[in-house]
Amino acid sequence: MKTLIIILIAALTANSPVWAQSAQYQQAMTDAITAMRSLNEKSAATEFVATANRFERIAGAEPGQWLPRYYAGLLYVYGGFSGKDAAEKDRYLDQADKYLKEAEAIDKNDELAVLNAYIAQARMVVDPMSRWQEYGPKFSEGVQKAKAMNPANPRPYLLEGSSLMYTPAQFGGGTDTACPLLKQAAEKFATFKPATNLHPTWGKSEVEGLLTKCPK
Amino acid sequence: MNRIYTVIRSLQRHVETQHLASQQRQQFCIVNTLLTPVRRKVLRLYIMLLLVPAGCWAQQIQGRVTDQKGQPLPGANVFLRGTYDGANTDSTGAFRFATSRKDTATLLVSFIGYEPFAQKITIGNTAPPTIRLTETANELNTVVISAGVFEASDEKRMTMLKPMDIVTTAGGGADITAVMNLLPGVQRVGEQPGLFVRGGAGTEAKVIIDGMIVQNPFFSSLPDVQTRGRFQPFMFKGTAFSTGGYSAQYGQALSSVLLLNTIDKGQNNGLSIGINLVSANVSYDQATERSSVSATGYYSNLKPLFALVPQNVSWSHVPGNAGSSLTYRLKTGKTGLLKVYGMYSDSWLGLATRNPIAADGDSPFVNLRQYNRNVFSTSSYTDSWNEGKWLLNAGLSYSYDTDATTYDTQDFGRSSQRMQARTVITRLLPRNNSVLFGAEAHRLTLSNAFNGTTYTLHDTYGAVFAETQTYLGRKLAIQSGVRGEYSSLLGRFNVAPRLSVAYKTGPYSQVSAAYGQFYQTPDYQYLYRNPNLNFERADHLILNYQVIKNKRTFRIEAFHKNYAQLVSEFVRNPDGTPANFDANPYRFPIGQTNNIGTGYAQGFDVFWRDQTTVKGLDYWITYSYVDTKRLFQNYIATATPTFISNHNVSVIMKRYIEKITTNFGLTYTFTSGRPYYNPNRTRPGLADSQFLTDRTPAVHNVSFSASHVTRIKKNLLILYATADNLLNTRNVFAYRYTPDGKERYAVGPTSYRSFFVGGIIMLSKKAKVNVSEL
Repeated sequence: MKTLIIILIAALTANSPVWAQSAQYQQAMTDAITAMRSLNEKSAATEFVATANRFERIAGAEPGQWLPRYYAGLLYVYGGFSGKDAAEKDRYLDQADKYLKEAEAIDKNDELAVLNAYIAQARMVVDPMSRWQEYGPKFSEGVQKAKAMNPANPRPYLLEGSSLMYTPAQFGGGTDTACPLLKQAAEKFATFKPATNLHPTWGKSEVEGLLTKCPK
Repeated sequence: MNRIYTVIRSLQRHVETQHLASQQRQQFCIVNTLLTPVRRKVLRLYIMLLLVPAGCWAQQIQGRVTDQKGQPLPGANVFLRGTYDGANTDSTGAFRFATSRKDTATLLVSFIGYEPFAQKITIGNTAPPTIRLTETANELNTVVISAGVFEASDEKRMTMLKPMDIVTTAGGGADITAVMNLLPGVQRVGEQPGLFVRGGAGTEAKVIIDGMIVQNPFFSSLPDVQTRGRFQPFMFKGTAFSTGGYSAQYGQALSSVLLLNTIDKGQNNGLSIGINLVSANVSYDQATERSSVSATGYYSNLKPLFALVPQNVSWSHVPGNAGSSLTYRLKTGKTGLLKVYGMYSDSWLGLATRNPIAADGDSPFVNLRQYNRNVFSTSSYTDSWNEGKWLLNAGLSYSYDTDATTYDTQDFGRSSQRMQARTVITRLLPRNNSVLFGAEAHRLTLSNAFNGTTYTLHDTYGAVFAETQTYLGRKLAIQSGVRGEYSSLLGRFNVAPRLSVAYKTGPYSQVSAAYGQFYQTPDYQYLYRNPNLNFERADHLILNYQVIKNKRTFRIEAFHKNYAQLVSEFVRNPDGTPANFDANPYRFPIGQTNNIGTGYAQGFDVFWRDQTTVKGLDYWITYSYVDTKRLFQNYIATATPTFISNHNVSVIMKRYIEKITTNFGLTYTFTSGRPYYNPNRTRPGLADSQFLTDRTPAVHNVSFSASHVTRIKKNLLILYATADNLLNTRNVFAYRYTPDGKERYAVGPTSYRSFFVGGIIMLSKKAKVNVSEL
């Protein structure tokens, strides 16, 4: 009986709102991340938005968490790549900016610097000829900041490598400059451990995909 | 006991892993039901504690989300504030979700492109609500004030030009003002610097950098010699060229303002070196997170070009210039930004020019030389408060310019100095509305030495202005402003109202109208002799229609301008009889003057740009028509001024070929003939109606440019080549007569067909042109 009481007390305390919320948070995040992982580059922009909505709801209930805002922002970046025209792409990226700003008000970290760079890259891709001047430096700034904040994070290397991979050699891109960075990213992915199971892990398959274009 | 323990543990685990997934909520209820037979009070209590929040007692919330017209909006996010309870709308706009909340809650709906919606609801209220969302303001549904404005910007997405266009346009020579000369509403004048807009003279247009008037925007020139603008296009993030009806924020320009906004942040590009046929320059850029510095230095000398391209004039002193600039930008906080820019340059030129007053026996040519020194600095500070609702824009600027001119053996001197300070405060209000107010003060000192006399004058000029932007719905916008100006030299004050209205006629089209009064202090050469003159005045009325759709732009604008209070000279011979018109471009007016000059200008211009129809080809066509007459300065009758061409056409084509990373440009311009003074038509006995009735032939020009980007040992290299007047047309800008009126001579470009090659190398691995595609 004594054991039972102890367990009960433990259970009751654990079942306090704080615990409930955190479990609810864990669960909601896990589900939404699972839903996000089922998406790929062929998914329609509306699917990215639907999943971003889940993170938006979590963010609404969790004012102190940067992760749901980070993921909502990330999904809108994907939307920014897959939107049907420049206006739609920019609308998605405006949303991504909004969530990034919210997340940065809660925490400043390497993953948010990566997101910052990713948004800049997506903006640039909408109209490269006239936007590189503005977003090129923003992209590099985000990448450099992320590298400085956490040298073990493979994602800034992935972003920089992928950007260079699709930049013509005349402009300083191509496999010569991209592959060393992608190899670095792959090495970092091999040892990278997210802080929790809710923290970002994406990018490994993208690196592997890009590395196939590199000379062995 | 152990059994209970196991049950609790397994339940706990179950709850932990399956807590919120709504499809599994039913299972909770089943488990709950199955377990009820276990008649252990504690356990039941625990299960209740555990499961109640999950919501077996949950209420269903359902409804529909549509737009204002009742069309369903699938994919909208509907949820209760502060809870995890919510859902996305389905393809019919319907939503349905469960909540454990009781009583009341706030229902939130968000959807991209629509205003967020919030409403207090009573849970259990069975009537499923239909929520109608309102579209947020965007480029397709919100009108913008567009009359008279021609903008090149990356920040605003629906503009007709991009900053890149300025450097990729053939015939523009990467000179901002030269490219503006290709836009609708501009009359091209080949032999003088300046922007001649809709019947206005070059002096009626002002170049404004970050709100500050640039006293000497062009390299110093001699009559009949065209010069470049002083500023590099890459200094600016946005260019707005107003061909009339411009904002109350600006003044002192009867016809036009060219607004240039400097970039907020430099790039970490390191050292770059540029060499071309006539000049060499170095620039160094370094940026950190908070600040950036750019420094440039250049030297140019036209000698190598002159060795290759035949010249139409005899240069006694080959034109050249040398200069440097320094820019420093600092983020002073989260929102504050300080920019300081300074430049210094020297330039010189000398040529043998026609002596307009040569008497019999004199040489028809006279040697003219000029040496110019120019200093310009401007600094600006911008900041915002209260989440960007209050904006501050403040600036200080100083410029000093001096010309030392030798005409034959006589020395002339000219100098100008302008100090200015300016502050603008803007309050942004909901729904795109805004109000701004500001003030500026200038102190000018000018001096001019002529025939051994030095004239000096000082003017303190002050202005206050206010402007509001009001949106009546999304389709109708009104911008109204007023500007008050005072000049200590004139001892006069003026009040100038401005009004613009725009109405959206369709998702891609709009009409716009603008009216305004504009005042300008008369040309200072008159004020040396007569400081009692009044401001000159122009009234503009502009109607505009434009369609921007799918990277195609069509714009047509009609205008009427009325000129009043223009300075007029009493043109009299020493004996009091009416004198002939003096066409001498070097004349210094010394006669009596007043403000009785008048005039008008009317016409329309058309712009068409298409980046879609032919893949990879971007072309634009502009046509401008102006009908204008004036009686001003030393005109002896009302006439179309000599700087006017009634018809101007430009056709600009650009093509970027990715395979060879080369951009090609081809530009054709047509300028109809301009009036010139024929003294034989105004000899005594002939009517004044023949004054300025002769026309020069039309001017045609075809120019070509190519720029190629490559890499040498990891350093970025840009090579470019341009050719001007490919067809070697013998263009004539004006005709003049020898003093006896017997011989007519042409004033044309200093060279016909000419070409130019050069390159820029960026000596930095960091320097890159990011044309990343994914």
